[in-house]
Amino acid sequence: MRATFSAPIRLGALLGAGAFALTACGGSGSAEPSGSPAPEQNGESSSAAPEAAGELTVWVDADRADVLADAAEDFEADTGIAVNLVQQDFGEIRDQFVSQVPTGEGPDIAVGAHDWLGVLVTNGVVAPIELGDAANDFEQVTVDAWSYDGQTYGVPYSIENIALLRNTELAPEAPETFDEMIEMGEASGATYPFLVGLDPQAADPYHLYPFQMSFGAPVFGTNEDASYNPEDLQIGNEGGQEFAQWLAEQGEAGVLNTNIDGDLALENFNSGDSPFYLTGPWNVPAAQESGIDVAVDPIPAPGDSPAQPFVGVQGFFLSAQSENVVAATNFLINYIGSPEVQTALYEVGGRAPALTESFDAALAEDEIVAGFGAVGTDAVPMPSIPEMGAVWDYWGATQTAIINGEGDPVELWDRMAEDIAGALD
Amino acid sequence: MAETLTHHRRPFRRWFRETGWRHLVGAAVVLFSVFPLIYVLSASLNPAGTLITANRLFATVSLDSYIDLFNRPQQPYAAWFLNTLVIGLSASAGSVLLGALAAYAFSRMRFTGRRVGLITLVLVQMFPQLLAMVAIFLLMLGIGEIFPAIGLNSQAGLVMVYLGGALGVNTYLMYGFFNTVPQSIDEAARIDGAGHARIFFTIILPLVSPILAVVALLSLVGTLSEFVIASVLLRDPQKQTLAVGLYQFISQETSQNWSVFAAGAVLAAIIPVALFLLLQRYIVSGLVAGSVK
Amino acid sequence: MTEPTTTSGPRPPAASRKDRRRHQANRIVDGTTGWKLMLLKIIVLSILCATAVYAALVLFINDRWLIGSLVVVGAAALTWIYLQRGALPAKYLAPGLVFLLIFQIFVVLYSGYVAFTNYGTGHNSTKDHAVQAIMLQTQDRVPDSPTYPLTVTESDGEIYFALINDNGEVLIGAEEQPLEPAEGAVVDNGTITAIEGHHVLSFADLLNRQQEITNLAVPLEEDLNAGYLRTQDGQRAYLYTSRYVYDENADTLTNSATGTVYRDTGEGAFIAEDGEKLMPGWRVNVGFDNFLRAVTEDSIRGPLIYVTLWTFAFALLSVATTFILGLFLAIVFNDRRMVSRKYYRLVMILPYAFPGFLSALVWAGMMNQEFGFINNVLFGGAAIPWLTDPWLAKLSILIVNLWLGFPYMFLVCTGALQSIPDELTEAAQMDGAKPFQAFRMIKLPLLLTAIAPLLISSFAFNFNNFNLIYMLTGGGPRDVSAGVNVGSTDILISMVYKVAFVGARADYGLASAFSILIFIIVGTISVMAFRKTKALEELN
Repeated sequence: MRATFSAPIRLGALLGAGAFALTACGGSGSAEPSGSPAPEQNGESSSAAPEAAGELTVWVDADRADVLADAAEDFEADTGIAVNLVQQDFGEIRDQFVSQVPTGEGPDIAVGAHDWLGVLVTNGVVAPIELGDAANDFEQVTVDAWSYDGQTYGVPYSIENIALLRNTELAPEAPETFDEMIEMGEASGATYPFLVGLDPQAADPYHLYPFQMSFGAPVFGTNEDASYNPEDLQIGNEGGQEFAQWLAEQGEAGVLNTNIDGDLALENFNSGDSPFYLTGPWNVPAAQESGIDVAVDPIPAPGDSPAQPFVGVQGFFLSAQSENVVAATNFLINYIGSPEVQTALYEVGGRAPALTESFDAALAEDEIVAGFGAVGTDAVPMPSIPEMGAVWDYWGATQTAIINGEGDPVELWDRMAEDIAGALD
Repeated sequence: MAETLTHHRRPFRRWFRETGWRHLVGAAVVLFSVFPLIYVLSASLNPAGTLITANRLFATVSLDSYIDLFNRPQQPYAAWFLNTLVIGLSASAGSVLLGALAAYAFSRMRFTGRRVGLITLVLVQMFPQLLAMVAIFLLMLGIGEIFPAIGLNSQAGLVMVYLGGALGVNTYLMYGFFNTVPQSIDEAARIDGAGHARIFFTIILPLVSPILAVVALLSLVGTLSEFVIASVLLRDPQKQTLAVGLYQFISQETSQNWSVFAAGAVLAAIIPVALFLLLQRYIVSGLVAGSVK
Repeated sequence: MTEPTTTSGPRPPAASRKDRRRHQANRIVDGTTGWKLMLLKIIVLSILCATAVYAALVLFINDRWLIGSLVVVGAAALTWIYLQRGALPAKYLAPGLVFLLIFQIFVVLYSGYVAFTNYGTGHNSTKDHAVQAIMLQTQDRVPDSPTYPLTVTESDGEIYFALINDNGEVLIGAEEQPLEPAEGAVVDNGTITAIEGHHVLSFADLLNRQQEITNLAVPLEEDLNAGYLRTQDGQRAYLYTSRYVYDENADTLTNSATGTVYRDTGEGAFIAEDGEKLMPGWRVNVGFDNFLRAVTEDSIRGPLIYVTLWTFAFALLSVATTFILGLFLAIVFNDRRMVSRKYYRLVMILPYAFPGFLSALVWAGMMNQEFGFINNVLFGGAAIPWLTDPWLAKLSILIVNLWLGFPYMFLVCTGALQSIPDELTEAAQMDGAKPFQAFRMIKLPLLLTAIAPLLISSFAFNFNNFNLIYMLTGGGPRDVSAGVNVGSTDILISMVYKVAFVGARADYGLASAFSILIFIIVGTISVMAFRKTKALEELN
C-alpha cells in the first residue's frame, strides 16, 4: 500500500514544488511575468554600439544565411555597419514582412521571390531600388521580373525555371517536339514515356505552362515594357482552347496522369522508369545520386510556339520603412550584386545566378546549370500581381478536371476563363 | 508473478474470453496506428528519397539523414530538441498547475458565476484562431518594449503565451476528476487543522494524479506541434522549437528535404513517447483505483 | 447559482479508507510552519507590484494611458486578492485567469476590433505610411537620364548635393535650391574633394545622416518640371519626377501629369472622382461593412448551406468516431489481467506524437487512386478514388481524422476510467447484470459526465479544423463547373480562408467578421450542449 501511495505523492509534490510558494497557506502570489529584467534596462535603445554607425537587419533563409554571413563581415569591415542576419523560414517571409514592417519591427532588407511583389507593393511595405547602370549587369529577365508598375524593387540573385530532364541511357538524343518525345519514350521500353508531377486536386499550372504557351495562350497579355497587363486576360483565347483539348487527349492517353504526384514522378524517374521528366534543378541532385546520367534539354513544344516556362527570380528587397537606406542600398548593390556573392549564392543554391558575369561563368562550368539557364533566358516571368492567388486556384482545378475527362475540355476551359475574369474584378 | 502463473494455467477458451481477444483488438490497432508511420520511418532511412514511396519500403537503409540532421550549423537540430523539451515541459507543468488550481476552486468552492465561468473557459478556446498570429505578435511587441526578456524572440514569452491556454477544456477534465474525490477527505483534513493550500497540494493533488498526468501529456503534445505562434515569436534559429525548425526542411517547395525532415520527426516523437512512458503508471494505475484493491 | 453541494461522482463506501486519509492528513499537518510561506507570499507580491509599477510608468511616459491603467488595476486587484483572508476561489483562479486574460481574451478582442476595419492587403498600416509609400513608389526616373556621381556636403547643418556636369563645372544644390555653380570647389581626379564653406561628408557621415540624405530632393533647374535629384546610396544620384504631389493642407494627392485629384474620402484610400483608387491605402474603421459582406458575399451564399451541413456532419462524426474507438480501446486495455497492455498503449499514442500535417501527407499518399498502398495492397489494385470522389473524399477525411484523433480520446478515457471504482460494476454484476449492461448502466453515465465537456470542445475544435482539410484535400474535389472555388470537403473555416485570403487580397477584416460569426454559431451550440450535460450531471 505504501508503495502505491508514494509515487503519486511524489508527482504531486513535483508539480506543486515550483508553485508551492505561490498559493501556499492562505494562498498568495500570482503568475505575473517573473524573471523580468531590472528596471534600468529600457527598451531596445540601450544597445549602444560605440563606433558602428548603425545596424542593418536582413531577413534571410537558412540556405542563404551562410553566404551572406561572409558578405556581412566584409560589409562591416568596410563600413563599420553591422549586418544582423535574422534567419527566417523562406515561405513565411512575405507575410511576416507585410505584417511587421508597419510596426517598425521589420528588417531593412529581406530575401524573397519576385512573384511576391504584387502583395508587397500593394501593401506599401517595399521601396524601389534604383539599380542605375548596374541594371545592365544582370540578366534582362531577372530585372524585368523584379519590376512592378515601372519600378525596380529588388536586387535579383537567382533564376529558377523548369526544363526537360533526360535519362541519357534510355534516350540518347534530345527530342524536337512533344510527339517525338512520347515516341522516343515509348520506344525506350520504360514504364512511363514522360513524367511530370501533378497534384490530384490541382494538377499543376506551373509545370504545364510551357505546353500552354506553345499553343499561344499566355495567362495575361503584355505591355510594351514586357510587363503583364492584368486587364488583358489571354488565357481563354483560341490557343487556350486548343491547349484544353490537348490536355484532354494526353489525359486519355495516360501521358498526363494526376495520380502521379511530384514524389512519384521523382521516384519513377530516379529508378529509371522513364526517360523524360519535366522538372526543375531542385530534383537533379537526387536523380544523380540515384545513378541516373542526366541531360537537360529545352522543353519540346506540342503546339506551334516555343514552350516557354515560367521563370521565378529570387532576390533581395528593401523595406519602405528602413531608416538605413544608404547603408542598405550599398549592401544590396555593391555586395549582394557583386560577382563573388552571386557566385557563392549560386554554389549553395544550385540555381543559375542573376548577375550576367556569374551567370556566364556558371553556365560555362556546369552542363546542368547551362541546360536550365538556356531555357530560363527564354522563359517568361511568373506574374506577380496579387490576384494570382485566385488565378492559380481555378486554373489547377480545371486542368485536373480536363485531364481526368470530367466534361468537355473547351467548355471547362471557357468556364475557367470566365471565373478567373470574375475573380480579377 | 502469481498472476502470470494463473494466466498459463487458464484453459485457452477462458483465456481468450478474458484477455485473448484483447490481443486481437490490440494487433488490429497496432497495425492501424503504426502503418502510416512506417512510411515516415522508411523515408528517414532513405536520404535521396521522397516521403511517399510507391513500391518499396526500406529499399535503402542508411542513417545518413540522421547524421545530416546534427551537422547543419544553420539548422541546429540539437538546440531545437532541447528548446522544445524545455518549453514543452515548462508549459506543460505550468498548465497542469494553473489548471489544477482552477479546477480545485470550481470543484470545492461555491461562488457566484461558477458554472458560467467554467463554461466560459471552454467557450473562449473555441474562438477561431485565424488572426491569432497577428494579435499575438502585436501583444508581444508591446510587452517586449517594456520587458525585453519576455517579449519577441524569448522562450519565456512563448511559454507565457502557451499558459494563456492553460485554463480551458483541461480544467474541465480535471474538475470532473476532482469531483470524484470525496469531500469527506477535505473535511477530515480540515478538522485536523490543515489549511486549504495544504489540503490541495498534499492530499488532493496526489489523489488526482492520473488526470494530472493525462493533462500534462496532452498539453505537452499540444505544445510540441504548435507551430504558428512559435514561428512568429522565435526568430533566432538557436531559440526555435522543433515544430518551427523542422518545417524549414520542407517549406520551400523547390528544396524539400523529406528524408531529413522525417528523421527529425522520428527523433522528435521520442519526447511525447518518453513522457508517456514516464507517466504511464500514474495514468493507468491511479491511486483511487489502486487503493481500493 | 443554486447547485447541490454534493457534486457528481461516487462516494467510496469503505470507511477504512477514510481513516487512512485522515492519518495521512495528520501526518502532514504536523510539524509545518506558516511564517515562511507568509514571507514568500509577501516577497512574490512585492516583486509583482514593483514590476507592475515599472511597466505602468513606462506606459504612462509613452502616453499609453489605457493600458497603463489596466496594469495598475490588475496588480492592485491581485494584491487585494492575496492579502485578504477571504476570496478563496479568486486565489485559486487568479493565476490562470491572468494568463487567459492577457493572451486569449486579447486575441478575441483584437479580432473583434479588426472585424470593424478594412485591415488587409492594401490597407495594412497608417495613413502616414500609405502617403510615404505612394510617394516612394511613384518617383519615376526621367527616361534616358544619366547617372550623376554625387558628392554630399554639409553647410550650417544643411545637406547639399554637389556634382560635376558635362562641362566639368561643379554644381551644388539643396532642398528648394536648384543646382547652381559652386564657388571654390576643388576637384581631384574627377571627384569633388572640397567646396568652400562646405564640409564634404565621408561615407561614415553619410551613414549617420542617411535619412536626411535619402529624403532630400534637389531641383535640377529653376523649372521644377525638369525633375529632382535624389540618391539612395549617397554616391549616385538620379533624376526623378514625382507622379503625384501631396498637398498636406488639402489632404489630396494630385497627378502632376494629368491633374487628377485624389482625395481621402474616408474609405481608407485616396480616391479620384471617377472612383480610381491609389494603393496602398490605410486602415480605417468601416463599421458593420465586413459583417454585411460576410452574409451577402456571392461566393459564399451559393455553397453556404451545403458547406454548413457538411461542417456539422464532419464535426459530429469526427467526435463520435474518435470517442467510440478511444473509449472502446480504453476499456479493452483497462483490464488488469492483461499484462502486456502497456505496450499496446504506447503504440497507440504514436499517431499523436507525430506532426499532424506529416501524417496527413502520408495518408494522402496512401490514398492515391492508382499507386496508393490502400488501393494497391489492401484492395488488390482497385482504382478507388479515395480523395477525388466527392463522397469518398469525405469518408477519407473522417478516416484520417479518426487516426489522428483516437489517441486523444483513448488517453482521456483511460484517465477518466481511473476515477470510477471497479467495485461499482462488480456489484452490479453480482446483482445479475451482464458485463456490458453493467458498464452501460453504471460506468458510461459517470464517464460521460466527466468527458462531455471534452466532447463538446472536441466538436468545436473539429468545427474549425482547418489544417486537416487544407492538408489532405485542400477542400477538393471541386466541381469546376460550379463557378466557385469551394470544394466538396470544404468546411466553413476553410471556405472563409479561401474567400478572405486566396482572392485578390488578404482581407483580415472580413476574416475576423467571419471568425466572430462562426464563433457565435459554435458557441451557441456548445452552450446548448452544456445545458444538456448539466441535466445529465444532475441525474447522478
